[in-house]
Amino acid sequence: MAIVEFKDVTRVYTTGDHELRALDKVSFTLEEGKFVVILGPSGAGKSTLLNLLGGLDSPTGGTIIVNGRDISSLTNNELADYRASAVGFVFQFYNLIPTLTVQENVALVQEISPDALDAKKMIAEVGLSDHLKNFPSELSGGEQQRVSIARALAKNPRILLCDEPTGALDSETGVLVLKLLLSMARNYGKTIVIVTHNQSIAKMADVIIRVKNGKIKSCVEQENPMSADEVEW
Amino acid sequence: MLTRKLFRTAWKYKPQFISMIIMVAIGVGVFLGFNIEWMSIEADTSAFFEDTLYADFRLYSEMGFSEKDITAVKDIPEVTAATRYLSVNADIKDTKKSVNLNVSEDYTVSIMTVMEGNPYDDESDGIWLSDQFAEKNGYALGDTLTLTYQGLEISGEIEGFVKSGEMMICTADENQLMPDYESFGFAYISPVKLKSVIGIAFYPQINVRADMEKEEMEKAIKNALGKTILVTSKDEHTAWAGAKSEAEEGKTMGSVLPVLFLAIAILTMVTTMHRIAANEKTQIGTLKALGFRDRRILRHYTSYGLVIGLTGTILGVFMGYGIAALIISPDGMMSTYFDLPDWSLVMPAFCWPLLVGTVILLTLISYLSIKEMLKGTAADALRPYVPRVMKKSVIEKLPLWERLSFGTKWNIRDILRHKSRSAMTLVGVIGCMLLLVGGLGMKDTMERFMETLDKDISNYTTKINLIESADKDEAKKLAENVNGDWQAESGISYEGKTVYLEVYHEDNDKIRFVDKNNNLMKLGDEGVYLCQRLADTASVGELIEFSPYGSEETYKVRVAGYLRSLMTECIVMTDTYAESVGVPCHINSIYTDEAAENIENSPLIAGKQDKQMIMESYDSFMEIMDLMVWIFVLAAVILGVVVLYNLGIMSYVERSRELATLKVLGFRDRHIGRLLVSQNIWLTVIGVLTGLPAGVGVLSILIISLASEYELKLMLGALTYSVSILLTFGVSLIVGWAVARKNRKIDMVEALKSTE
Repeated sequence: MAIVEFKDVTRVYTTGDHELRALDKVSFTLEEGKFVVILGPSGAGKSTLLNLLGGLDSPTGGTIIVNGRDISSLTNNELADYRASAVGFVFQFYNLIPTLTVQENVALVQEISPDALDAKKMIAEVGLSDHLKNFPSELSGGEQQRVSIARALAKNPRILLCDEPTGALDSETGVLVLKLLLSMARNYGKTIVIVTHNQSIAKMADVIIRVKNGKIKSCVEQENPMSADEVEW
Repeated sequence: MLTRKLFRTAWKYKPQFISMIIMVAIGVGVFLGFNIEWMSIEADTSAFFEDTLYADFRLYSEMGFSEKDITAVKDIPEVTAATRYLSVNADIKDTKKSVNLNVSEDYTVSIMTVMEGNPYDDESDGIWLSDQFAEKNGYALGDTLTLTYQGLEISGEIEGFVKSGEMMICTADENQLMPDYESFGFAYISPVKLKSVIGIAFYPQINVRADMEKEEMEKAIKNALGKTILVTSKDEHTAWAGAKSEAEEGKTMGSVLPVLFLAIAILTMVTTMHRIAANEKTQIGTLKALGFRDRRILRHYTSYGLVIGLTGTILGVFMGYGIAALIISPDGMMSTYFDLPDWSLVMPAFCWPLLVGTVILLTLISYLSIKEMLKGTAADALRPYVPRVMKKSVIEKLPLWERLSFGTKWNIRDILRHKSRSAMTLVGVIGCMLLLVGGLGMKDTMERFMETLDKDISNYTTKINLIESADKDEAKKLAENVNGDWQAESGISYEGKTVYLEVYHEDNDKIRFVDKNNNLMKLGDEGVYLCQRLADTASVGELIEFSPYGSEETYKVRVAGYLRSLMTECIVMTDTYAESVGVPCHINSIYTDEAAENIENSPLIAGKQDKQMIMESYDSFMEIMDLMVWIFVLAAVILGVVVLYNLGIMSYVERSRELATLKVLGFRDRHIGRLLVSQNIWLTVIGVLTGLPAGVGVLSILIISLASEYELKLMLGALTYSVSILLTFGVSLIVGWAVARKNRKIDMVEALKSTE
C-alpha cells in the first residue's frame, strides 16, 4: 500500500525577482515499511522534498498524499498536528533542546503526540538508560543522535524522516547510529526516508530515489539491499 | 569596507541598537533634565536675588524702627547695606484683590527689577506694580490704582511693571502655597509717598545685607539696639526658602530616578553588547582568519559602542534640556510658583565629565565584550560562541521538580542559563513598577494631603486675617460675633531654631487637628503638641523650654502629644493652656463659617480669604505634581517596553533554534507562544513583587526630602496598586506577546540547518 504519494509537486522559492524552482513536477509513490534513500548533489532539491513530506513546507503546486490524506494545503495548525503525529525527524545536528535532559527531550513529545511511546523505554532501546538525567551538552555527538532517534520514534509516527543523520558524525559512529536507526525502524515497522549524498547508505536501501535539478532522475527498487555490515564505509 | 560593515551590522541589529540608543538617551535625558532643573533654579534665582539686592536678614518690630535704630544697624561692621522697610498687605479698593505693599526707604536692599515703564524714583507719587498681577488683572501703565490699608487710601498712577526677589514667590501668607496673581500681587511705592499718606515714616522692618550667621547677627543687633529683636534670616523667608527647597527637591529627584535610569541603560548595554559580540563571533573569527589584526577588529566593533554612546548621549542632552524646559521656562511649570525675569537653563558642571564618562564607559563595554571573543587563535575565534554548559541547579533536586511540565522546566532552565538576560528583564520590570508606584503614590499622597487640609483640618468657610496691632480682647469679641475660632501665631526660638508657636481657640470646631496617622484628634488643655518634624525633640510628659522672639522670657511647657502639622513647623497649644502657663498670645486670624461678604468690616481686619480661594491656590501646585507623575508613568512604560522588548528579541533569537525544533516536532505556534510569554509572566511576577516595596521605599525617600516643607503621610490608594501592577503586567504581556508572535515567522528549515 502506498503510504506517500507525490503528484506533480512543484516548489518555487521567490526572492525578489529571482525564482528558484527547487522541485519541478515531481511524482512518485512510496510503499509502507520501506527504507527509502533520496540521493542527489547539493541543491538538487532533496531537502525540499523531505521538508514537504515532513510538513515543514507547503508545495507551490501539485498534491502530496500521506496516509491517504492530502497535506499540500493544510493550515499552519493542521501542519503542526501532522508533524506531531504522522512523522518523526532526525536531523544532521540532532536539534535537541539544550535546556532539557535526555529523558525530558524524549518525553517532550508526549505533550503533543497522541500515541506517544514511553520515553524511558525508547531511551533504553537506544542504549542510553545511564544518561537519563544528562543534558545534551554532556553527551557525545553519536549519543545525541541516538537521543534524537529515540525522540523521533517516541512520537510513534508511521514515517521517519532523516536529513543527513550521520553527516555530523565520524564514520564509525555514523555506522553505529545508522544500524540502530534501521533496526529500530524495522522493529517498529516504520517507513524510513533518508536524505543523504552518501552513496554507501544507498546500498542498504529498498528504494533509491535520485534527484537532480529539481526533478526525479530515477526511482529504483533494489532487489537485494546490503546489510550495514556488508557495506564498505 | 569595514565602515560599510558597521552600518550593515547596525542595521541587522537595529532593535538592539535602537533600544540601546533609546535607553542611553532616556538615562542621560532624565539625569540631565532633573539636574538642569535644580541647577537652573539655583542659578536663576541667585542671579535674581543678587540683582534685586535681596536681604540676608529681616528685623521686625511692631512699633516700628527709628532713624536711630537704622543708623545703629548700619554701623555694624559686617553690614554692607541696610534699610528700613515696610511690607504690608493692602487691599485694592472695591475689589477682593490685594497686594503686598513694599517700601524700601534707602532702596539699597530688597529692590525691584523694572520690566516695563519708568525706573524707580524715590520721590515719585506713583506705584510700581507686579507685572504678573497687572497682566492678570488688565492694568496698564498710567492707570490709577487705589489701595486701602487700615482705613488709609493710597492712590497713584502705575509707573512701571516690576518683579522683585523679595516677592519672587508672591503669596499672601504661609497658608497660600502657590501665587495667584489674579487675587494677590505686590507693589512698591516710594518712601516719600508712604510718608505723605500716613504722615510719619513708619517702618516695622529693617532689611539687611550682611554676610553673617544668624546668631552673630542676633548678638550684633542686641548690642546695637540694646534689646532683643525678632531677626529672621533669609532661610526663613518665603522666596529664599522656596527657591532652596525646590532646588533641594530637584537634587533629590535628580539623584534617585536618573541614577536608576542610567544604571539600567548601562546594564542593558552590557548584556546587549555581549550578545551581539557572541552572535558576531564567527564573523570576528573570519576577519581574524583573513588576517585582520586584533586591534583593527577591536577598533571596528568598539566603534559600535562609541556610536551608540555618542548618539544616545547627544539625544539625551536634547531630551534633558527639553525635560528641564517643561519646568524651567517662562511658560514652564515653575513659572506658576516663581516670578523670575530670566529662565536660563544651566547644566551643573559635574554633568560634563559624567557625559564624557558615559560615552567612554559604553565604548569600554563594547571593547571588553569583543576582547572576550577575540581570545585565543583565529581558529578559536571561528568557533561559535557556546553558552555555559547546562548544569543541574539546586531547584532540580527538589522532589517537586519532576512534577513540573516541560514548559516550566524549560523556562526555569532557560532563566538560569541566561542569568544576565533574566536579571536585566527583572531590573526592567522592577524599574517600571518602582516608577509607577513612586509616581502614582506621590499623587495619592499629595491628594490625600490636600483632602486632609480641605476636609479634615479646615472646617471653615472664611479665614479673617487680622492686622498686626489688633487688640486681643477686641479680636476675641470679633471671633465670638462670627462664631469663629481663632489662632495666634508667633515666632519662637526652640532648640536653637525658629519655629512657630500656634495657640488655638478651637471650641467651635472650625479648625481641627490630625495625628500622625491623619486621624482627627482633640487638643487637650494639659500641654503642648509638637508637630512631626519636632517629634524627636521631646517625649510625652517631658518639659520643654522656648522663648518668644522679642522677649527675654523663657517658658517651660509640658509635652502632651504630637500632631501632624501640614505646613508650619510648630508647637501647638490651646488658649486655655496658654493662659495657664502665661504664654502671651497675639491673635492673627479668625476662622468662621460666615461668608466673606457677610462679615462686617472692622479696623481689625487686614483681609479675608475664602477657603475655596485658598484651596484653589493649590491647584497649580497639584498640576505640577500631576505632570511629574505623568513623566514618571511615561518613563516607566518606555523603560519597561524598551528593556523587555530588547531582551525578548534577544532571547527569541537565541532560542530560535530550539523554537524551530519544537515547531518541527509538531508544537503549535500558540503553544510555543505560551511558553515564551509564560517566562515573561514569571519574571514579571517576581519583578512586581520586588518593585512594589522598592517603589514604596523611593516614595518615602521623596517624601522625606519634602518633609522640610510639608508633613506628608505616605499614602498609597488601592487604585495605585492596581494601576501599577496592571500596567507593569500589561507592558510585560504586550511585549511578550509581540515577541512571541515572531515565532510564527520562524523558518523551520533555515533555523535547523546551521550548526550549533
